[in-house]
Amino acid sequence: MTDVIEVNNLTRRFGRLVAIDDISFTVHEGEIFGLLGENGAGKTTTLEILEGFQKPDRGSALVLGHNPYTAHRQWRDRIGLVLQESDFDPVHTVTETVSLFAGFFSHPRAVDETLALVGLTAKAKERVGRLSGGQKRRVDVALGIIGRPSLLFLDEPTTGFDPIARADFWTVIEGLRDEGTSIVLTTHYMEEAERLCDRLAIMAKGQIVAEGTSSTLISEMGATTLRFELPRGLGLDALRAITGIDFVLRDNLATALLGAELQSVLRRLMTWAESTEVHLHRLEVLRPSLTDVFLGATGNDR
Amino acid sequence: MAAAGYPISAIAFYSGGLTAYGLMLGTFTSVMVAVVGAREAGWLKRFRASPMPPGAYLAGQIVFNVIVSIALVVVMMATATLVYGLRPRADAYAAVLAYTLLGVFCFTAIALAITRVMTTDEMASSAGPFVTIALSFTSGVFLPPDLLPHWLVTASNYLPLEPLAQSLQHALSLRVGSVFQWHPFIVLGAWGVAAFVAARWTFTWQPLRK
Repeated sequence: MTDVIEVNNLTRRFGRLVAIDDISFTVHEGEIFGLLGENGAGKTTTLEILEGFQKPDRGSALVLGHNPYTAHRQWRDRIGLVLQESDFDPVHTVTETVSLFAGFFSHPRAVDETLALVGLTAKAKERVGRLSGGQKRRVDVALGIIGRPSLLFLDEPTTGFDPIARADFWTVIEGLRDEGTSIVLTTHYMEEAERLCDRLAIMAKGQIVAEGTSSTLISEMGATTLRFELPRGLGLDALRAITGIDFVLRDNLATALLGAELQSVLRRLMTWAESTEVHLHRLEVLRPSLTDVFLGATGNDR
Repeated sequence: MAAAGYPISAIAFYSGGLTAYGLMLGTFTSVMVAVVGAREAGWLKRFRASPMPPGAYLAGQIVFNVIVSIALVVVMMATATLVYGLRPRADAYAAVLAYTLLGVFCFTAIALAITRVMTTDEMASSAGPFVTIALSFTSGVFLPPDLLPHWLVTASNYLPLEPLAQSLQHALSLRVGSVFQWHPFIVLGAWGVAAFVAARWTFTWQPLRK
C-alpha cells in the first residue's frame, strides 16, 4: 500500500511551548486516519503543518510526496481542506460560494452534485449568511471536496451537528473513501472515530500516545469492566479473598477494571456464587470503549 | 486664486484636489477593509489553501478599485464641468485617467503593506480615513499650500497625496504646455513599488486574532 502522508520526527515549538514533540506516523492511500486528542494536544498544529500553513522546527512531513510548506499549486489542486473555523461572505449564495472555489481547481466536481452530496440542494439559492451553523459547516465540507481531492483534511468537521446531520455526514465521508479519497480527520467524538477511522492516533501533550485500528487499541489498551451488586453481608475484603483482586464501590456496584485476568476472576467468582447459592444481581461484563482507551491514553482515567 | 506658484481657478483647485482625496480615501479604505475582513474571517486562509494563484486575488483587488475609481472620477469631472463650469483642455482627461490608475496602484500597495499591523476589522476601516484626512490638510486638497509653512509643503511633496492632487490640479487648469508631469509618477511609483515589496514580506493569509 502506498502512503499518502509520511511524518518523521516532527517537532514544532511556539516559544517555550512544545506543540508537537517528535511525532511520526503514516497515512495509507484510501484510508480514513483519525487524529484524536484533547484541546491543545497538538492536533491542529499537526494538520497545519501537513496543510502547508506552518513550517516544522524539526523533522519532515511528506504529503502526496511533497513538502507541504514549499509545495506548488499543482499539489494544492489535489488537496481538500475543511478548516476548523467557518466564516463566509454572508451576501453570496451557497451556489455562488461553491462555484467560486470550483473555478480554482483543474477537475472540479459539478456544483449541483457537490451540493447534493453534502445535503444542501434545497439551500442552493440561500445566502450563506442565513444558514444555520450546521448548514454552514456543510458549505465548508462542499468547499473541501469540490476539487475532487486525492487527500482530504477534516478538522473537527461535525462540531455543532445534530445527531441526524452527523449520521448523514458519516455516510458522505464513507462514500468519499469508497471513491478512493484518503482522509485525515480530527474529532472530539469517540463514536465518530470508532465508526469512521480505519486507523487512528491519540495525541496528548504533543506526542502520539497510542496508534492503531480502534479494535486493536481497544483490545490492547482497554480494560474490561466487571460489576455487580455487592451481595448482602459481603464486604469488599471478603470479595478480594474470593476473587484475588480489589473491587471498588461505584454507583453502589462492586466494580473492577480487568485485563487478561478477567477469565480467572470470573471463574472464581462464579464458582463461589454457585457453591454458596448467591445470586449476583445486575451482573455485567462491559466491553471497553474507545472513550476508555482515550481517557487511559491521555491520562484522564482517574 | 494662486496655489503652488501658478494661477488656478477655485473649481480646478478643488476638483483636482478632491479627486485625489477621493481616490486615496476610496482605494485605501476599500483594500484595507476587504483584505483585513477576509483575512480575519478565515477567507484568505481558505483561498491560500486552494490552487488559486495569489496574483489572482491581488488582481481582483486592483481591478475592482480601478472600476470604482474611474466611476468616481467620471462623477467628479461631470459635476465640475457641467455644474461648476470647469473647462479643461481635451487632453487633460487622458492625464486624469493616467493619474487615476497611478493613484489606485500606489494606494492599493500602501494599503496592502500595512494590513499586517491592522489586527481588527475596526482598525482597518478607520485607518483609511485617519491617514487620508490627516494627509489632506498638508497636501493642497482643502487648503492652498501657500497657507502652510514652507517645510510642511516640501515634506508633503514626497508623500503620495500632494503630488497626485497637484498634478490633477495642474492638468485641469493648464492652458499651455504638457498636461503630464513626471514627478507624480516618480513619487507615487516609488511609494507603490516600495509598498509592494514591503507587502511581499509582511503580508499574511492567516487570521491574526484567534
